[in-house]
Amino acid sequence: MTALKYPKVQRAGRWFDVRRRRLGMWAYAVNRITGIGLVVYLYLHLAVLSLLSRGPETWDSFVSMARSPFYLSLDVILLAGILIHGLNGLRIALTGFDVGVRQQKMLFGVLMLGAAILLAVAALKIFGG
Amino acid sequence: MKTLEVALQIFRYKPHESAHYDTFTVEVAETAHVIDAIDAVWAVHDRSLTFRRACHHSSCGSCALLINKVEKLPCITRVTKVWDGRTPVRLDPLRNFPIVSDLVVDVTAFFQRMSAANMEITRDAEPSLPLTVEDFAIAGVPPKAVQIPDNLSRFNRFENCIECGICMSACPTMAADEKFLGPAGLAAIYRARQKTAEPRTVAHLLGLADGEHGVWRCHSAFECTEACPQAVDPAGKIMALRRELTARRFKQFWKR
Amino acid sequence: MLRPQIIIVGAGSTGAATAHDLALRGIDVTVIERGEVASGTTGRNHCLLHSGGRYCVTDQESAIECIEENLTLRKIMPDLLELNDGLFVALNEADLAFKERFLEGCAACHIAARDIPVKHALAMEPFLNPAVLAAVQIPDGVFEPFRFCLAFLATARLNGAIVRRYTEVTDFRCSGKSVTGVKIRDRVTGRSETLDADLVVNAAGPWAGEIAAKAGVTVPEVPTAGVMVTVDCRLNNMVLNRLNKPSDGDIVVPQRATSVIGTTSWTVENPDLIAIPPEHVERMITQGELLLPTVRKIPMRAKMAVARPLIARSGADAREVSRTFECFDHASAGVNGFVTIAGGKTTTARAMAERVSDIVCQKLGLTAACRTRDVPLTSYRLFYQ
Repeated sequence: MTALKYPKVQRAGRWFDVRRRRLGMWAYAVNRITGIGLVVYLYLHLAVLSLLSRGPETWDSFVSMARSPFYLSLDVILLAGILIHGLNGLRIALTGFDVGVRQQKMLFGVLMLGAAILLAVAALKIFGG
Repeated sequence: MKTLEVALQIFRYKPHESAHYDTFTVEVAETAHVIDAIDAVWAVHDRSLTFRRACHHSSCGSCALLINKVEKLPCITRVTKVWDGRTPVRLDPLRNFPIVSDLVVDVTAFFQRMSAANMEITRDAEPSLPLTVEDFAIAGVPPKAVQIPDNLSRFNRFENCIECGICMSACPTMAADEKFLGPAGLAAIYRARQKTAEPRTVAHLLGLADGEHGVWRCHSAFECTEACPQAVDPAGKIMALRRELTARRFKQFWKR
Repeated sequence: MLRPQIIIVGAGSTGAATAHDLALRGIDVTVIERGEVASGTTGRNHCLLHSGGRYCVTDQESAIECIEENLTLRKIMPDLLELNDGLFVALNEADLAFKERFLEGCAACHIAARDIPVKHALAMEPFLNPAVLAAVQIPDGVFEPFRFCLAFLATARLNGAIVRRYTEVTDFRCSGKSVTGVKIRDRVTGRSETLDADLVVNAAGPWAGEIAAKAGVTVPEVPTAGVMVTVDCRLNNMVLNRLNKPSDGDIVVPQRATSVIGTTSWTVENPDLIAIPPEHVERMITQGELLLPTVRKIPMRAKMAVARPLIARSGADAREVSRTFECFDHASAGVNGFVTIAGGKTTTARAMAERVSDIVCQKLGLTAACRTRDVPLTSYRLFYQ
């Protein structure tokens, strides 16, 4: 067999283009975006935790800021990202080993519905105090 | 014969010119397929338009392109399905392939992948008829078993896959990894593996699937299966290969 | 002496098989094709690997060609064929009366025909019209025309042939009246150039007349179009034919997961643009229904029409024109270096190629013999590599 020739048509950003694409592609893009978001959050989280080393006053002033409605909303968004990424990740793990491949769209619907319910309950608890 | 006027906005590219779009209006039968409209553009307006086609009935796979940004076979896509009467029908070459000229893409690397899998294009025919591409049941047409003639050992038929490249165009991993075997290549590996028990061939095929640019590169977008006009279900076949590879790894692990 | 350069115009089945034949004989070949491989008549044909049964009563010359080539193609491209045999079925008294002549014709042409009980026919083909009165099984098959051509061209390329697609022949370079070269325009680069040719083989199908005119000669060709309709499911595994003389819509060919009903016949002025008459489409469904009553319930997947390269015979109606092929050496009209191969069908492409290649070698004073009967074709995928 002759050596494979590889055409230079890499379009690394093509995964972003979900226009006219179907559910599976949207789910894939959403998983990538939430994944990137969660990684960014992880760094922020570590940076915030490092405030602990600066003593109780710095930490306390941060926590009181973090109790504001604005920050609580960010927490809800974070939770949304975790639930979407996690539950869709479950779907990817299952289908990736040939379980439920034919039902992948329905699986997405069901899991996202689950995510929405969990998120609603959690948001109520977060804001309800 | 009822006709309609359809406007087509076609991607143009020649190696010595920059890419652009040309819009043409042609008159075609109301029941025409998009390939007839492209043919009319060439015959009536612009003989420098280059495009691939051969069979006009979804068996050769050569005419695949993007119609209104979605991968389709123009030979089985009605004009009335894609023409709303106003916005020109947009025609682009397949994604993830190098463009030769206008709508013609270079399929060299694609066929190298298909050669690596070396799937035969014939298979045993199903034991009953009718056979549909979509595997749907046709209302009022229940399946009936077929008897093989005395002088033949089996009925055979051409595989579903027509090597059109639509799945390769729809796949986001193909866009990012130019060495990925792709849905078509991996589906072919799966089909070839189904047909053989010869250990060296199986090892070769599973080795390709298990390799750096094999099944593990798939990110489960499932666009390939959605876009395939021949119900090959490449995504399902990739996942089935993953299952076999994982099962083999497990068995090897426990044997130790 | 420099190696002879042959130019072949057209990469349909005739051009592809000729390129393969000449390349095997060690001759330098360049194929010039204005579109994709098989983008002309060959691509849109009915895909029927003829047993010759269709012609065994009315055109025995064609029938004998067909069965010989059928068997040869099974040897050289075994992996590119659906080989499920075919049935000629009688649906009325007239058909039934034809059966004897049909069986005699098959015997005379050495086509293995078996008169089988109707019960067996219906068991093998459960969607066949249950009112069938008789059935004869013959060795029909199905090919896929695009890959058919790719296989010949891939093998030719391995043996040194060059194939230039998206390249049009615009004119011939002549010395006196004789052809010494071909002027071409490459539609990809836009550039025009002239290629030397010791001989040009015109294998342009229904466009052979147009090409010949550029060299100042005529070809007695009548482009004759036909419509075929493909339905969205495969209703038969065996090719189904009407047991009678050839007529419109009397064949249903299975292919992949579809069935293709064909065909009709009308002469066309311009083979570049053929409008598909809706009444022909309807006629395919009504005729198809006679063989497979279920066909009307199935959605239509595609329809196609293209011109056949029939050779004109004075006073003959298109259905009666022989489907055999003919080679025209235009030296008889004073134009050396130019030969046209016209007519025929894809089933007999290899034989057409043998005939024209023998003529080419004879004209060039070469003694290489044809080897295409025995040399298996390489993988069609190699054409693009």
